[in-house]
Amino acid sequence: MINKTFIIIIFICLIQFFSNNSYTVEPDEVLENQKQELRARDISKNIRCMVCQNQSIDESNAPLAKDLRILIRNKIKEGNRNEEIYKFLTDRYGDFILLKPPFKLSTLALWFLPFIFFIIGVLIVFSHNKKSRKI
Amino acid sequence: MKKHLLIIPSILFLLILSIFFYLLIIERNPFELPSNLLDKNVPNFEAESLLKNKNFISSKEFGNEIILVNFFASWCGPCRDEHIYIKRFSNEKGIRVIGINYKDSSGNAIEWLKNLGNPYSDVPIDKNGRIAIDWGVYGIPETFIVNSKGIIKYRHVGPITKKIYKKINLLIKEIK
Repeated sequence: MINKTFIIIIFICLIQFFSNNSYTVEPDEVLENQKQELRARDISKNIRCMVCQNQSIDESNAPLAKDLRILIRNKIKEGNRNEEIYKFLTDRYGDFILLKPPFKLSTLALWFLPFIFFIIGVLIVFSHNKKSRKI
Repeated sequence: MKKHLLIIPSILFLLILSIFFYLLIIERNPFELPSNLLDKNVPNFEAESLLKNKNFISSKEFGNEIILVNFFASWCGPCRDEHIYIKRFSNEKGIRVIGINYKDSSGNAIEWLKNLGNPYSDVPIDKNGRIAIDWGVYGIPETFIVNSKGIIKYRHVGPITKKIYKKINLLIKEIK
């Protein structure tokens, strides 16, 4: 019995996880052109809500997030490319507004240190195993 | 395996622990972010003025003297708290303060300034928050120091407290 409810709970959690449940984009914001709207959603998902900081503006109800969503849609309508929109935002709010840190010289350590640590870890494990086998 | 090498991981662990502890006890606000506009020119904008009949044109106003720019609104509680310090900047220190009225109703803003006193030399209106986005503002009140060349030298997010008031005064002296 316990097992069954447990499975149901997990199942519900998984549904939540896989469904793309974003209801924050308000109807009046949505662009008529579907292709443009999809582009806007795509960009919004990569932009951090500066007020809540761990949500994207696509998920956030904060007024600033709404302003930025509308701004992105206006820029798309004006014919700006995605890179231009990202640049517009990072010029004003810095790289922090991107949820994914950009790949730059100053962020090299951020991107590569995990791999380096992983390699070091593997080396330690292997050298340790070798030694213990000899004994 | 050399026994004394085993001490290295524990030393490393202690080191990491002390770094975390240090970051925990130093006074810092993790939500506060440095402005990307530091050492850059003031964004250009033109806006209706709350107090005057002619438009506020940024290129005409900045670049002659040190100016404080303060984003405020009558609906914003912390703005009320910091207002006493904003007044001290303009009344006691004789610094020019421009207040950008953020997403506010003009009637309320005028009433607010009447009740609390007006420290602002001019109040451009930012009806839809577009000017604030150009300044990289993410929550009012925010205050900027602009030097006499029209370059942003400092940004403070949140209300000005006694401590910040002193800090800004020191910075202004340095910039001068």
